[in-house]
Amino acid sequence: MYKLSKSMSGYECVIRLEDNACIPFDPANRDAEEFASWLKSGNVPEPAEEGGTITPEWIADTIAKLLPNA
Amino acid sequence: MAYGTVNADVIGTSVAGSNLGAGNATLMKNKIINGACVIDQRNAGASVSNVAATATYAVDRWKYYGTSASKFTIQQNAGSITPPVGYINYLGFTSSAATVVGTSDIYVFGQPIEGLNITDLAWGTANAKTVTLSFWVYSSLTGTFSGALGNNAANRCYPFSYTISSANTWTQISLTIAGDTTGTWLTTNAIGIQIWFNLGSGSTQLGTAGAWGSTFYYGATSSQSIIATNGATFYITGVQLEVGSNATGFEYRQYGQELALCQRYYEKGSAGAGSRSGDNICYTYINYKQEKRAVPTFAGVSQTLNANYTDSAQCYQAGLGSASNSLFTWTSSAEL
Repeated sequence: MYKLSKSMSGYECVIRLEDNACIPFDPANRDAEEFASWLKSGNVPEPAEEGGTITPEWIADTIAKLLPNA
Repeated sequence: MAYGTVNADVIGTSVAGSNLGAGNATLMKNKIINGACVIDQRNAGASVSNVAATATYAVDRWKYYGTSASKFTIQQNAGSITPPVGYINYLGFTSSAATVVGTSDIYVFGQPIEGLNITDLAWGTANAKTVTLSFWVYSSLTGTFSGALGNNAANRCYPFSYTISSANTWTQISLTIAGDTTGTWLTTNAIGIQIWFNLGSGSTQLGTAGAWGSTFYYGATSSQSIIATNGATFYITGVQLEVGSNATGFEYRQYGQELALCQRYYEKGSAGAGSRSGDNICYTYINYKQEKRAVPTFAGVSQTLNANYTDSAQCYQAGLGSASNSLFTWTSSAEL
């Protein structure tokens, strides 16, 4: 399971809840690739505590960014 | 090659039978990192059990994968046997059950090699260089074992096989593989070559050994399975992948060099954070010892990441009292 995170500086990442690791939205990061594959399977992360909504467009854009060859 | 003779990448020396360059160079000839299994940042020699369908790293740079959980354990120097002469460490796998695998199940370990480190191989071109993969193995089982080399897209693959004739005896294996003249072999910070050793994958994951093909396999047909026998062991060390048609002596790097090479992909450390007056938030700036391959995954207990780069990170911890401080450990992973 994942949860979005947004820091005070505006830095955004996705938190992998099993180990609290912060995964960047970088297609070269293999954890990010796994997250995108998880999204592609129809899963949805928890929203950030700081607010915000997770839209289908955001999911589609994130998959396209992190899995450019998919 | 005669003394003083020079070609594209080899220079003959005055020492009989030795050359500089290609597979004979003594510096950085080995494409494998931590081939002697000396660096174990994550587990520090402890035994771990495989988790289901998640590629996980054992000793540095070596990852393992099992379709189902708890089928084998992984440990640096498992079983505490004497390593081959010249080595003090090995990576050990021990079967946890007599597992009957499904035809598409995958049970393997291996190492992805970064594309930036294989540019000299020219794979995917007519100038593709021949390489030699060598390693020491020790198993409670005998027979034909296997593995495979492949590219990042998993559409080029070379299954290989090798024989262990004597159980519980260190055996050195050498396999020469003609470079692939077709396919796409990345020379970027992504996977250039992935090398896998089969521990007992299902039949559809295994192909004919000794030839390049476009279907990806993790090993060779009808090869030995470690996980099919409860308690079976498989140990490996001295893994080297080098240019040339012959295995040369293992490249012993200094410990600090090997650690630094590993830290491009995974690094851990500890840091302290002093509170900032007024808002009770502790900021910490971490400069990595080695720049990472890509923006890493960062984990720090109780910390929130405020910025994340390939060479550094900034994080903070809220809720601390004024004039308090925090000491925490962190990990940064940019593994392939």
